[in-house]
Amino acid sequence: MERPARRRVPRRLRTPYAPALALALVAGGFAAWAGQDWYGAAHDDRAAYAAQRDRALAAGEQAVQNLNTLDHRDLDRGLDLWEASTTGELHEQLTSGRDGFADQVKEARTVSTARVLSGAVTELDDRAGRARVLVALRVTVRAADGTRTDKDSRMLGELTRTDGRWKLSALGQAPVGGAPAG
Amino acid sequence: MSTTRHHINRQRLRQARAARPQAVEARPGTRGAAVRTAVKAPPSSHRDEENGPARSRRPWGLAALCALTVLLGAFAGWAHAQAEALRAEPARTNTALTDVARTSEIKGQVAEAVDRLFSYDHADPAAFDRAAKDLLTGKAVAQHRELFAAVRERADARKAVITTAVTETAVERIDGDRARVLVYADQSSVATAGGKAAAQQDDGVYAAAMLAVDTVHRDGRWLITSLDTFDRT
Repeated sequence: MERPARRRVPRRLRTPYAPALALALVAGGFAAWAGQDWYGAAHDDRAAYAAQRDRALAAGEQAVQNLNTLDHRDLDRGLDLWEASTTGELHEQLTSGRDGFADQVKEARTVSTARVLSGAVTELDDRAGRARVLVALRVTVRAADGTRTDKDSRMLGELTRTDGRWKLSALGQAPVGGAPAG
Repeated sequence: MSTTRHHINRQRLRQARAARPQAVEARPGTRGAAVRTAVKAPPSSHRDEENGPARSRRPWGLAALCALTVLLGAFAGWAHAQAEALRAEPARTNTALTDVARTSEIKGQVAEAVDRLFSYDHADPAAFDRAAKDLLTGKAVAQHRELFAAVRERADARKAVITTAVTETAVERIDGDRARVLVYADQSSVATAGGKAAAQQDDGVYAAAMLAVDTVHRDGRWLITSLDTFDRT
C-alpha cells in the first residue's frame, strides 16, 4: 500500500525540483541576512558619529592652519580665507579687526605658513553641532629680512557646525603653567 | 461515381483503423506513430502522455527557480560586500570617541603614564626607572632614554625635581588594541642645589610640551610603544 504512494511522489518530484527549491530557499535566506546586515551597516549611529568626528577634525585642522597662514603680498585672499574658516564670535572679531591687522602685517611684511603636526577631537556633540579639537601646529614666520623662525603652538579650537559645515568659533593656545599664554 | 465510392470506402476504412488509437492518442497529427506505440506498448504511451506536457512545463519552472537562486545569491554576495566595505571605512575602524569607555580609559592611562615618565626626582631615580620599565615597550624605551638623558644628568647635578603635568589629551585614533594620543603637558623643575641663581632661573618656569604617543593594549593596560615629539628634522 505504501509502495505505490511512495513511487508516485518521486515520479512527480523525481526531477531536480526539490534540490532547486532547496537551493533557492537557502539563497533567499542568505539574501535576507546579507540585506539586513547591509542595512544595519548603512544605518549605524556610531558610523554617523564617527563620520562627524572625522569631518570636524578635518575642518578644524584646515581652519587652524588657515588662521596661521598669511602672506603680506596676498593679504586679501588670506584674510578672506580666515573669515570663511570661522563663525560666531571669532568670525566677528576677525571681521572687525581686519583692517587694523592688515595694516600691521603690511608694515611687518611677514609671511607665515603653518603646518599641522597632529590633531584630534576631544569632545563632539553631534546633535548640537559643537566640537573641541587639539591641533599641534608648527608656524614658520619669514620676516622681511628673510630670517625664518619656527614656532610650535599647542592650539585649542572650538568648532560649530553651521549649515552642515564645521567652522572654528574659538581658537587659542593651551595655557602654560595655568596662565594663558596668548 | 466509382471514384467517389472508392474514396468514401477508403475514408471509412481509415476512420475505423484510427478509431481506437485516436481514443488514446488525442493528437491527430501523430496518429500513425501513436497507433504503433499504442499497440506495442500501452504503458509507454501512457507515460508519454503524462510526461509530454510536463516536460514542456518543467524546464520553465526549473529555469525560473535557478534564475531566482542565482539572483538571490548574487544579491546576498553583493549586499555582504557592501556591508563589509562600509565597515572597513577608516572612519568606522577608528573608534576614538565612538567608544566612550575605551577613549576615556586611554586618556586616563596615557596622562598618568606621561606624568610619571617625564617627572624626575634626583632623590628617587628608581621611581623614574620603574616607570620606564612599567609603561614603555618597544622602541619607546630607547626614545624615552634618549629624550631624558641630558635632562636627567642636569637634574642630578643640580639636585632638581622635575615635574610634568599633562594638561590636555585627545585620542586621535583607536584601532582595536592600538591607539594614538595627542598630549599637551607642562613641565617645571625646582633645583635644590647650585645656589640661588640656578634656583631662580628654574623656579616657577613652565615649559610647554606637546607630543603624540602610540599605545598598545597589553595585559589589561595601555603601554606606550612610541613617543613622537615632532622633532624638526
